[in-house]
Parts: sequence; structure tokens; C-alpha cells
Amino acid sequence: MPKSLPFLLLTILLIFALTVLGQTGEIKMDVKKHTLSNGMRILALENHSAPVFSSIIQFNTGAVDERPGITGISHLLEHMLFKGTKTIGTDNYQAEIPIMAKIDSLAHLLRSEQVKLQNPFNPQDSTLMKSLRQQIADAQAEQKKYIITEELWDTYVNNGGTGLNASTGNDRTEYHVSLPKNRLELWAFLESDRLANIVFREFYSERDVVMEERRLGENEPRRKLDEALSATVFWASSYKWPVVGWMSDIQTITREDVEAYFKSHYSPANAVAVIVGDVDANEVFKTCEKYFASVPSQPPPPSVVTRDAPQQGERRVEIEHESNPIAFVAWNTPQIGDPDLPALEVAANILSNGRTSRFYKNIKEKKLGTASASVDDGRYPMTFNCTITPYGDHTVGELETAIYSEIDRLKTEKVTEWELQKVCNQVDASFVRSLDSNMGLCFRLAGSESVTGNWHQFVDYQDAIKKVTADDVMRVVNKYLVKKNRSVAYIVKTESKKTQAPAGKES
Amino acid sequence: MKRILISSIIVLAAISISFGQTEVKESPGSKIISNITAGNIQLTIPEVGRDVERAVLDNGLILYLYEDHRIPLLNLSAVIRCGSIFDPPEKDGLSGIVGTVMRNGGAKTISGDSLNIIMEYIGGSLETGISSERGSASLSVLPKDIDLGLSLFADLIRNPLFPQDKIDLAKSDIKNNIKRRNDSPGNVVGRHFSNMIYGDHPFGRALEWASVKGITQQDLIDYHRKFFNPNNIMIGISGDFNKAEMVEKIKKYLGDWPKSDTPIPAYPEVEVEYHPGVYEIWKDINQAFLRIGHLGIKRDNPDRYAVQLLNFILGGSFTSRLTLKVRADEGLAYHVGSSFPTGSRDYSAFSVDCQTKGATAYKATRLITDEIEKIRKDGVSESELKDAGDATINSLAFNFDTAHKIVMNLLSLEYDGYPADYYKGYFDFYRKVTRDDIKRVAQKYLQPDKLTYIVVGKSETYEKPLDEFGKVTNIQLTEPVTE
Repeated sequence: MPKSLPFLLLTILLIFALTVLGQTGEIKMDVKKHTLSNGMRILALENHSAPVFSSIIQFNTGAVDERPGITGISHLLEHMLFKGTKTIGTDNYQAEIPIMAKIDSLAHLLRSEQVKLQNPFNPQDSTLMKSLRQQIADAQAEQKKYIITEELWDTYVNNGGTGLNASTGNDRTEYHVSLPKNRLELWAFLESDRLANIVFREFYSERDVVMEERRLGENEPRRKLDEALSATVFWASSYKWPVVGWMSDIQTITREDVEAYFKSHYSPANAVAVIVGDVDANEVFKTCEKYFASVPSQPPPPSVVTRDAPQQGERRVEIEHESNPIAFVAWNTPQIGDPDLPALEVAANILSNGRTSRFYKNIKEKKLGTASASVDDGRYPMTFNCTITPYGDHTVGELETAIYSEIDRLKTEKVTEWELQKVCNQVDASFVRSLDSNMGLCFRLAGSESVTGNWHQFVDYQDAIKKVTADDVMRVVNKYLVKKNRSVAYIVKTESKKTQAPAGKES
Repeated sequence: MKRILISSIIVLAAISISFGQTEVKESPGSKIISNITAGNIQLTIPEVGRDVERAVLDNGLILYLYEDHRIPLLNLSAVIRCGSIFDPPEKDGLSGIVGTVMRNGGAKTISGDSLNIIMEYIGGSLETGISSERGSASLSVLPKDIDLGLSLFADLIRNPLFPQDKIDLAKSDIKNNIKRRNDSPGNVVGRHFSNMIYGDHPFGRALEWASVKGITQQDLIDYHRKFFNPNNIMIGISGDFNKAEMVEKIKKYLGDWPKSDTPIPAYPEVEVEYHPGVYEIWKDINQAFLRIGHLGIKRDNPDRYAVQLLNFILGGSFTSRLTLKVRADEGLAYHVGSSFPTGSRDYSAFSVDCQTKGATAYKATRLITDEIEKIRKDGVSESELKDAGDATINSLAFNFDTAHKIVMNLLSLEYDGYPADYYKGYFDFYRKVTRDDIKRVAQKYLQPDKLTYIVVGKSETYEKPLDEFGKVTNIQLTEPVTE
């Protein structure tokens, strides 16, 4: 049987406590920064371990910058950045211009019909809509003659581009790809070209694609619940709508809406480019000067000022769905930069990170289910979150009680020095591991620089986490993780609604 | 008009050299691109003997080592020849439980709970797991913790305890997964597809509580004895250490582990059978989740490179025919794509996935089958073939962009039975594939009349019945048994 002597363990742990910090503290990241005359920031970090580099261009723009009527437009715009430019994706841009103008005017007619149909007092005429849709499809087919579909993507992939993708979040939108080392100039050309010469072609078929993307989420219990939770937590803040947008908005956003949004939000001053890999930093800056400096500067987009008033009581929302019960719980917390966030991060870590965490010991190992905790930090106030998955016959209610009791314990009992030291050591070790991934570093650097204007912010945040005390944890848990400040969204399982399921093979 | 004519002539001239398309459009940007991408993509492929050292201990344990002192970290991964493919039907789920409880249950000198405390405190990681044809045990620690990490790692794979409470915990996780397996349509479609393609073969079985429930501690002990032997294990190590010292350390912890004479059991073979037809599963969702496919090929098939390029062009990339047609042109789906694995020991499965709103379920299915027919009938163009080859070859560097990928990719060659110098011929494998090859393999390995269609959704919302694609059989989802 186990011969794990407590004394031996303690001795080992004391040695660790003395050594872990000294070691990783010596690692410095030699990130170089250069700002172009149009305000675009470039970060470069050399890593010569393999003949490749990773890249990100990140805009400090996301769903939070939208308004009702155009929710989902940041994400739709992200899709449109793959549709080519005046120089890429077409063999005759001039010939496309009149066709796109025609599509725009048809789309306007269609949009006013769509809006009309939403009002029951208006006469319903679906034949006009059908005909407009057909005319748009015909014009798109005509434009197709000139389009070289997905040329940008094709070019990247043919040149060894890997992990090519883009993503949109509440706060940010980013475009990333990894390439062989001697394709830096190709990257600079393609990326600057789509900032300077973007053409919003094939918009209406891409809008259909995004609607399918939204439907995918509607069929996924977690995505559905997440949407309900955000709409419950935030009454005023723009975080209340989903990144993908409301279906009714996606259906009516026009090509010109997206074009206008691009102009106001994709200013070079609102962008950060990060290159990590087998490159020379000066070469990166020179190449970026050559390609990006001519992108015209614009004023950065306005900040969002709408904020929620302090929450006055628990909010609960129920979703009926054909899936087993789960629940999400969220407490309002401050925005990135607030000194209370590191202590909340430590609380989340002690509650649910790893097999020694409190949720794991007291919920999972007792076979009640699983629970996790995390902190969302954004440009504006966000939330501390818990997710709950009950096992067997246990209910969401039982699991809620279990996580609240763990949280209440944090309010009255100090976390142990061992738990705090564990968090510190994990922060250090995961920092060392992060150095192994060019793309992972790109994400961290771009995230920090884009949102806070300081690439070093994520390192500072790690340091702040390491300085958190047991008193800090107790204070912030008492301050934020209280009933009055929380919202709960949960799924109640409904049985299949089909009354007459066809007889057949059982599975 | 004149301009078009001139460009047509250029295109015609190009046909005999490299392009096969009758209609090649060229963007103004493409000239700039060819200027700035003239330089060849350079890559020195790491080799065993030169970059990576291979060593064999007396007990048959094979080591691959790669030193890289840039990051103060040690990564070690053991690969064990075992897997759920060997689980008998009445013990289905055994491998998964062994993989989980080996770690969570601890070993002779350290309990699972103490192991958690140590590993999490030092910011290390020690994990085990078993998938369908591969067991794994991995360790990641800072250099100062190498000895501690190795001793715990060795104890875990040699002397796991498999305590009953951790077996019960692992079972409760599996039970929960079984209970929730119909929650997401993606799970439903995947499970039914595998079942239809592979039938009772382990690849086709859905894990059921009835078999999991009956798994005993003795089953785990027997499993460990059967598969976890030094002559059945390979270990890849990368990072901040000295190779010679590391070999000595491994000898210290694993060198006295006696080898075993028990052979690995025979692999159950996939029966070559087809189940053409449309299998509709009703679920209250607003899209049709489609998976269409049939049995594929084994990795010893010499056509595998042509099949990879065929799949890349048909539906394996974002610029594939299926994506361009179904997504970009028609806007019918966020995701559509095909998969044709060519690295499987036994028959893989070719499949196409797509999710589209109910009202376009028929249309999307039709477009997909049309593309399959088209590529069989007409093959591919020279430029499609060149692009697919370029993409495959030029991205090879990313198989070797971290120290641990270097060591594990070379180790995997041996584990999977490829020659050690496999990557030497890599470029040629793809460069040698011709358009005729693609057409030939398309006709041979894409078999439209043998396709199985799994469709999850509300069939009454489809704009047209799907019986054009085969006989429709309804499968009813039932509540999984977890008692």
C-alpha cells in the first residue's frame, strides 16, 4: 500500500517553494515594438528554434462595439475579410462594381420588405421577396464570373500556411496564420492588402453561411445557455448580445453596414500585428513599414460608455431544451486593470483548477457532478463564472448548493498558504510552457497590447496573481460572489416533442 | 474582349507546361505574389542518429531523445501498444478506465491523492490515457524536478494500484457521458455513423453502461500485466537535459523492469461490408446534421498519397470543391468538408460532414453527392493537383516546430511501422502523384452506390425526402440505460 510519508512530502514541498520562483523569474521576453506613422503597432519576438513564424493581426473591436440592429456585424465582417480585395480574388474588379451596386439596391428593397413583414398591419407579399431573392442570386452569379473564390486562403495554404483562421470575440477580432520563415513578405502583402483594398463581395451568400453558424449554436445546449446567461446578466452593457448576433439582425444587415463598420473600426491605430518565430525583428519592422505604412490612418472607434447599474438581486432564467440539465452562474466583476481581478483569479483557481481543487475534492470526487470556475476579464466589466454539470439523479439545485457552500467557505476561512503557493508555481510553470508555442505567444502579446496598450500586461498580471494574499481572496469573494450580484441560467430537459416518432430500429 | 483573348492564349500556352484548367483566372495580385514567394521553402528534416538519438534498453524499452536547451522544461511521452480495440465486448470501456485510474489511483510508493498534491504544487503534469490503438503516459516538469518526475512516472506505469474508489469515480464519469450522449446532435451523428460503418467491430461500438458496470479491479490489474511491459513501450523525451545522463536515469528507474513474453493479442479485423442507405434520426433541432461515407483504406495502401491529395481537393481544405460549392457559392453551411484518413492500421472511413437548415437538407446532400460523382468522372485539374501538393509539402515544417513534436513524430514512425527514413521520400510521395492517379483512386475508393447517409434532424422540415439517395430507415433515439 502507499508509502507516501507525509514528512517526506512536506520536505519535498518546502524545497520546491524555495526554488520554483527563482528559476522562471530569470526568463525575459525580448519583445520589440515599433509603431507606424498611421498608428499601427508591430510587435516582434524572435524564436529561432524552427524555420517558421506565427502571426496575428488583432483589432480592438468586437461584439461589444455593436448596437441593436447590427449585432453580429463584427463577426460578419471577419468573414468578409476572406473574400478578397481589389487585387486578390478577382480578375476584373472594375466589372464587379456595377454588379455590386445592383445587388446593393436589390438588397435594400429586400430589406424594407423584410422589415415590412415584421409588422402585422402591412399587407403580406412574399412573392416580391422571392423575386428579389432570385434577382440577387442572379446578380451574384453574374459577378461570380470575375471572382477567384478564396484566393487569399489558397495562397496562404499553398505556401505552407498552417492554422490559418480568424476569430471574433466580445472585445476583439483577430486574424492568424503560421508560415515558413521566408514567407514574411507574403504575409505583409496579403494582410496590408486586405486593410487597404478590401472588397465586400459575395456578401449575401456569406451572410447565409453566418446564419448557419448561428443555427449550429442554437442546437448546442451550452451555446444556447450561454446566450441566455449573457442576456440575463447584462441589462445595459453591450455584452448582453451574443458575438454571432441575433438572427433577426444578421438577416437584415446590409453590405453597406459592414463597409461602414469596417471604416470606423478597422483603423490602423486600432490594430496590433504580432510576429513570433524565426525572423529578424528589424526585418519585420522594415517589411511592415513597406506594406502597412500606406494604409490610411483614421480616428480610432469611440469607447462604449453604457454600463449596468449595480445588480439589485439574484436573476434566474430557465431554458427548456432536449438535453440533460446544466447550469451557468455568473457574478458581476470589474473590467481588466482593476486591482481586484488577480484575487478573483486566485479564487477561481483554488476552487476548480486541478485535482486538488475544492470543487474537484468536494463535488467531483463525491460523484455529485462537475463544476468549474473562471474569470472573464474584458475592456468593460464582465463576470466571474461557474459551470455546473450534475451527475446521475443529482439536480442543478443540489450542485448550486454545493458550489455556494464552497464559495461561502472562502468568505469566512482564509485559503491556505499551500494553496496560494501552488497557484504561484503553476503560473510560473505555465509561463515556461507557453514559450514553446509561437502562436500561443502571439495570442498573449496581441491580447495584452490590443486591449491595454501594453504587451507586458499579461506578465504584470501574472506577477499580481503571485502577490495575492489570503486576505485579498477573502475580501474579493465577500465583495463580488454574493447572491444579490449573481445570475443563474439553467437547462430543464424536455422530452422529444415529436408525437409520432416513426417506428424503426432502436438505438 | 481582346484582353480576354490574350489571357486565354497565355492560359493555353500554360496548359502544356503546368496548368490543366481550361479557364484560369488571374488576379492582379497574383503577379506580386509570385514575385515575393520565389524563394524555396527550406526545411531540414530532423533525423534519427543526427538530431534525435534512439536507444534500446536490455529489457526492450525503446527511447527517442532530443536535447533542446532553449526552454527550461522536460517533456516525456510514453507510447504503449494497447487500446480499446482489444477490449472484449462484455468489457467494453476497460481500456478507458485503465487509462484514467492508472493516473488517479496512484502507485506503490505514492497514492493518487499525494500524486495530485505534488504534481500540482510543482506546476508539473503527469497524465495517462488509452485510446483505441494507443496507450500514453506523459510527464512534463521543470528541469529541477526531473528526478522526482521520473520516479513518479516510472512507479505509475510499473506499479499502478487501481484502487476501487477511483475505479468507481471513473465509472461515474463514463455513466454521465453515456447519459448525455444524445444532448448534442454532433455526438449522435458521429456515434451512429461509426456504428453503421463498423458494426460490431470495436470501432463501431457505442459504449454502454451494461459493460462498464461489470468491469472489476481484477480486469484492470490483468490489463496492466498484459500490455504494460517494457518491450511494449516506447518513450520520447525532449527538452532541457543531457542525453547520456537521461539514458542513465531511465535505466535507473525502468531498466530493471523485466520484459514479458506474452504477445499482444491479434487485432480484430474490420470486415469489409457496406451499408448503403439513408438513416434518419429524428431530433428537435433546426438543422440537418449529415455524415455521409463508407469504408476507406489502410495505411499500407500505396495509393495513400493520391488519396490524401484527392481528399484535399474534394473536401479536405477550406478551398476544396465541397467548401467552395456548398459554403461559398450557395451559403448552405458553415461547415462542410470531407475526411479520408490514410494512416489507419485497418480500414479507415471516408466521410463528408455538413450541417444545414432543414429546408436545404436535400439540396446540400445533392450537391455533395454531385461533387463526389464529378471528381470520379472528370478527375482534377493540374493546378488543383499542384496546389494540393504544395500545401502538403510546404506545411511539413509544422510537423517539427517544437522539440517534442520532433521526437514524437520520429518515434511514431517506428510505432506505426514506417521506415525511419520515411520523411526522406516525403516530397516525392506527393510530387509523383499524377492527375491520372487521382482519377483512378477517386473511382476506386469513392463509391457513391455504397454510401451510408446518417441524417439527424427534423425530417418533416426537409424540402424534399432523401429517398433519392437510398432506402430510408428511421432510427429512433432512446434514453440511454444507465442503471
